[in-house]
Amino acid sequence: MSETEPAGTPLRLVFDGHALQARPGVSLLQAWIAAGLPLTENVGCMGQGVCGACRVLVRRPGERIAGTALACEMPAEEGMQVSFIDHFPARRPHAYDLSALTDSWSIPDQIDAVFPEAKHCRHCSGCDRACPKGIPVQRMVNLAAEGQVFAAAELFDACVMCNLCVAACPEHIDPAHLGQFTRRMHAALTLRPADLMQRLRQIEAGEQPIDLDAPGASPPVQT
Amino acid sequence: MTDGGMSGGIGFAAALAAWDAAAPAPARACGLKVADLLRGFHPDHRPGGMVQLVAGPNEGAPCPAQLAALLQSDSLLEDVDLAGATILDADVLVLGGGGAGCVAALAAARAGARVLMATKLRMGDGNTVMAEGGIQAAIGAEDSLQRHFEDTLRAGHFAADKALVAALVGDGPDAIRWLVREGMSFDLADERQRMGGALLRKKPGGATAARLLSYRDFTGLELMRALREAVLLQPGISVLDGHPALELLTDDRGRCGGAALQDLGQRRLVLARAGATIMATGGAGRLHLAGFPTSNHYGATADGLVLAYRAGARLREMDSFQFHPTGIAWPPHLEGTLISEAARSAGARLVNGRGERFVEELAPRDVVASAMLRELAEGRGVGRDGKLGLFLDTPSLEREQPGILAQRLQTLSHLAHRAGFDPAREPFLVRPTLHYQNGGMAIDTDGRSALPGLLAAGEVTGGLHGRNRMMGNALLELVVFGRRAGASAAADARQERPRNLGLNHLAGWRRGLLAAGLGLEAKGPLLFPPYGNVTPQDLRRHAA
Repeated sequence: MSETEPAGTPLRLVFDGHALQARPGVSLLQAWIAAGLPLTENVGCMGQGVCGACRVLVRRPGERIAGTALACEMPAEEGMQVSFIDHFPARRPHAYDLSALTDSWSIPDQIDAVFPEAKHCRHCSGCDRACPKGIPVQRMVNLAAEGQVFAAAELFDACVMCNLCVAACPEHIDPAHLGQFTRRMHAALTLRPADLMQRLRQIEAGEQPIDLDAPGASPPVQT
Repeated sequence: MTDGGMSGGIGFAAALAAWDAAAPAPARACGLKVADLLRGFHPDHRPGGMVQLVAGPNEGAPCPAQLAALLQSDSLLEDVDLAGATILDADVLVLGGGGAGCVAALAAARAGARVLMATKLRMGDGNTVMAEGGIQAAIGAEDSLQRHFEDTLRAGHFAADKALVAALVGDGPDAIRWLVREGMSFDLADERQRMGGALLRKKPGGATAARLLSYRDFTGLELMRALREAVLLQPGISVLDGHPALELLTDDRGRCGGAALQDLGQRRLVLARAGATIMATGGAGRLHLAGFPTSNHYGATADGLVLAYRAGARLREMDSFQFHPTGIAWPPHLEGTLISEAARSAGARLVNGRGERFVEELAPRDVVASAMLRELAEGRGVGRDGKLGLFLDTPSLEREQPGILAQRLQTLSHLAHRAGFDPAREPFLVRPTLHYQNGGMAIDTDGRSALPGLLAAGEVTGGLHGRNRMMGNALLELVVFGRRAGASAAADARQERPRNLGLNHLAGWRRGLLAAGLGLEAKGPLLFPPYGNVTPQDLRRHAA
């Protein structure tokens, strides 16, 4: 499939109410730009697929239900109906102070106190369908509600913060933020590399001076 | 987009056969001294690429023509536009919501300041989240702060400010501890050794020790996820998404006291007044200097440089940009997208259309990129569907280290999948892509610019990288100088506040433009690249 450039007739699609044509092979975001439409939001990394900004609803011909995707990653297809999904804040913030979380025996209580909705998951898997990265979001929610921090954190390794799962959840669990809570807890409470700690001790003891006038800090003398 | 001097190269099928027959590729001697290679082929040295600035604090300094046109443009605003604008007050205003902006906002808020963060796109969108390779910190027993210091200076051709570099590397280990405390993970040499054990370390191009710490090949995403949550949850920070700055506000003594922001949603002007303002607006890749594709995010249009320069801040090394060696050359819909240096760090070779290696892949980035541009210019590139590039030999890497593509180079494998081929069987077609602004606003070790009330952090600053940045020093810079600038700004905001705020600097600026014969027709900042199909004037029209 990589041998020849896709050629032939332009694709027709409808994007935010605009009927537009696109070259085969371009992403939905590139189709929007090529159509001359203004782009001032819902855009970030332009194709790397890491920033989660260009969220869209997509419906293909013959499909009854619209799905979600990232416009920079989804190729344009004939007959697609597409609309950007604006960003909106979560219904209420799930507030916590990571630095105050010092008692790791209380982790299940902490998760329940900050995300009390997590234990009310209806198993509707709306979050799973919403995730453009294929993360088993619902499983992460269930694991986190049981205090299984490492397992939950690992499932959210590929999260790009698009927050589509937050929009999808009828119980307002805010899975994306719950996933980050487990990931941040995982690092902040358990990552203690010995080499880093040794170097910090040396620096604090004044054993790592920097000599601004060392021979290696100036260009080699030309001969 | 074109950049002159490229010949057609060798056809894809013939090049693939040459690569296949020779793999692993034999090396060909370079035959040129490094200085001659850079002079002959680095885009900074392209004949006619630079012009001299004729107005402003850097009058007489060389600068790429496209950037100079923006730096020497007139304001989008007049005094009358300020009348009736919504006013917001804060102790510290942070312009930009990428990595540097988030770190600075956190540092300022934790030092007791009320912080307003205004960002053009959305908090978290920027080049930071796209960073793949890693972050440098000298933590190895065989390594030292001194070695990191000297490596950084040498890679930057000794053009960097030594005091800034010493601050950068000296804070390095503490910056890593700070990130872990914010909830960022790092790869370990042995994943079972979370307490004790050692961080996984790789050797960045141009370094004398393995010093690059990482989280898989999406270090920036992992960093930004933690920072974004931290900012959202930090009391004392208000975030304004969709609010690009159009102009800095200055008082009658020339002190910076905030910025005029355009509220893109409501189409109105907002005056954000603050005791201290931190510029954290990032780089300029979307200007596509010299016609190059870019690895940068959509908002990298040099806005902060334009505003700071106009208000009187000095810039440095504005004629020095980094072209990352391995941007995607084919397929066209991924052109410019980055393939991390992690691939070359792991041992992937660069191969020309004749099946030859032509450069030491882990030489400094400017050297590798120049050697690649030389191959393209001298007809040894690989042509495919009108695109010209060189092979990044991932199949040989996979043969030598089975499983590496799936386990350690996930982003790369994902990109190949989207390009429609298997990286274990077919090499990538790559060419240099505009990646980083080496220079920028001149700052001191506390992050202060020469303009009172204006500080800066991150890619918008200059002086840390000299004329070439090492891999892994950009993420380190945004943490170290974000923290420094945030703390300094919180302290500055407790001093006497600016008074009689307005566009006081514009009268003198306009006189300077007219005196230099430039006229006032060109307006800036740009805000969005031309293919965004909207100008700042469009956005100002229909204002409520």
